[in-house]
Amino acid sequence: MMSSLFIHPALPIFLGSFLILYFKKNSNFISIVALLISLITLLFFIQNQSLVYSYYDFNLHYFSYNKLAFLFCLVFLVIGIIGKIFSIYRDSYKEKALILIYISSAISVIFSGDFITLYIFWEIMAISSSFVIFSSPSDRAYLSGFRYLLIHLFGGLILLIGIIGLSMNTNNLEIRLLELDTWYNWLILIGLLLNAGAPPFSSWVADAYPEGSYSSTVFLSAYTTKTSVFVLIMTFAGSQILIYVGLYMIMYGIIYALLENDIRRILSYSIVNQVGFMIVGIGIGTELSINGTAAHAFAHIIYKALLLMSAGSVIYMIQKRKCTDVGGLYRVMPLTAICGIVGALSISAFPLTSGFISKSMILDGSFQEGLEFVWLMLLIGSAGVFLHAGIKFPWFVFFHKDKKIITTDPPIFMKSSMVVSSLICILIGIMPSLLYNLLPYEVSFIPYTENHIISQLHLLLFSGLAFFISLKYLERTLTITLDFDWVYRNKNRLVSCFLNIFINRTEKIKTLIQSINIKEKTILLENFLLKQISISAMVTMILIIFAIFLVLNIS
Amino acid sequence: MNIFKPFSYIIFFIINILFYIFYDFDKVHFDKDGIFGFYPLFGFISCIVLIIIAKFLGYILKKDERYYDE
Repeated sequence: MMSSLFIHPALPIFLGSFLILYFKKNSNFISIVALLISLITLLFFIQNQSLVYSYYDFNLHYFSYNKLAFLFCLVFLVIGIIGKIFSIYRDSYKEKALILIYISSAISVIFSGDFITLYIFWEIMAISSSFVIFSSPSDRAYLSGFRYLLIHLFGGLILLIGIIGLSMNTNNLEIRLLELDTWYNWLILIGLLLNAGAPPFSSWVADAYPEGSYSSTVFLSAYTTKTSVFVLIMTFAGSQILIYVGLYMIMYGIIYALLENDIRRILSYSIVNQVGFMIVGIGIGTELSINGTAAHAFAHIIYKALLLMSAGSVIYMIQKRKCTDVGGLYRVMPLTAICGIVGALSISAFPLTSGFISKSMILDGSFQEGLEFVWLMLLIGSAGVFLHAGIKFPWFVFFHKDKKIITTDPPIFMKSSMVVSSLICILIGIMPSLLYNLLPYEVSFIPYTENHIISQLHLLLFSGLAFFISLKYLERTLTITLDFDWVYRNKNRLVSCFLNIFINRTEKIKTLIQSINIKEKTILLENFLLKQISISAMVTMILIIFAIFLVLNIS
Repeated sequence: MNIFKPFSYIIFFIINILFYIFYDFDKVHFDKDGIFGFYPLFGFISCIVLIIIAKFLGYILKKDERYYDE
């Protein structure tokens, strides 16, 4: 009886995106209402059920409910509504429609019960999010978005090969815990980790997200990496290698954020850092650490959106995005500064904020498993988070040298969405049971012990001291930092030469390529590929991957 | 803005003294927090080390903003 009334939570949002194309003037209203309908559906009409679409002997588990999926879907919708209120003044109906498609595909990934459904929505998510980046007014958004799209298509391809392997060898595509003993499971892991910003491709996070418009970055930060975290919990919880991948991401995020000048890039590196904590939690794989990962993802989405909203407000009001251009804004933008500081305190896990009650579960998880090295590294990570996001972001933006910038706080809707998310951060921090009741396993963890509060405050305050002592070494410079993306972004001729030879040697491919017009400006795909070194690098990589797949399959 | 600098050091020290540095942890993690001043020292030293590593990597990896545009 209930199944006849069933509405997939992603459906209203998906329909909303098409409505926006017809009613361009009402794009804000439509998107907020669509998200609200989804939220009501999720809260009141969804039951513990699993729905399958069968086509001959082919089954698509398009809806499979579990407690973890409910938690992730809830936070996706909540931050969607808050972000939509924040972006009311953004005058681009295309971006708003694309964001709705992006959100609905992320939710569909969360609720998908088999790898085929997951893969379909995974790719829709990759494509829609790169179009969100394309719709930004920035000049660099186009190239950045292209690199983002290619990285994600590349990751999706690896995932697809893994899924094909899994299907051929086990004939069971349900999403379940996988063991890392076969090549196709490794490929699935790599494909999933690529979306989480794992090494060596971590640079796409800081490359693409800051190129979004001031409002779309809020959405971009929330969905892609966290869907990947969710799927990793479902498939690879307890795989030891994830602990080390996560630890690398934590350190990578801190060090690159310390070197960065662009405000939103600092915050993007700290996404990698925070996702690192979650990946470590997945790698530990006990009930406590999985709970911690889920709680941390929930808290992280909200405070990261808050931080990006305060950065977005600064960009909206003064059109400046570098630390070297801003400073002393606490005088003219007091509310933005306060909300930014609340977000910064939450990310660095100060007591009474949401980070405190979630991150400590992962640390305690590592302690209970007796992983001393991991515990110490996570402590260094916690201190480093305060260093690069907790102090560095508010200090260089809102304090530091007063640049005498004349501006005000942003308009009312932007202010109110920042205030609401600050309140959520503090509310979860004060009443952790609100969040703990939603977690997948029973929680017996008590965050507020005297021990824990004092140790955390000691750790954080002394890292703050370290920041101020070495302040003169942390002065911002007008530079960028090289990363692994140098391999496919630099102008050396290696890749293009390789591709050139490759194209010249194969006459068939050449004639085929010449017959395709990809864009009005570039008549031949060949010329286009040689101009776009990033694309040519990706094409080579994809070809190599296919070659590997063939070899693996034959053997 | 110069008042912020010395002021902040003093505030940090006062807060730390207020949160009694001599606190005796009853739940010990790996015998580490039994050491006197483990958390403050650990936080401080690890941050300094992180800044030094970042600084060192910065010499190698930092490039001009137009590095990729040329």
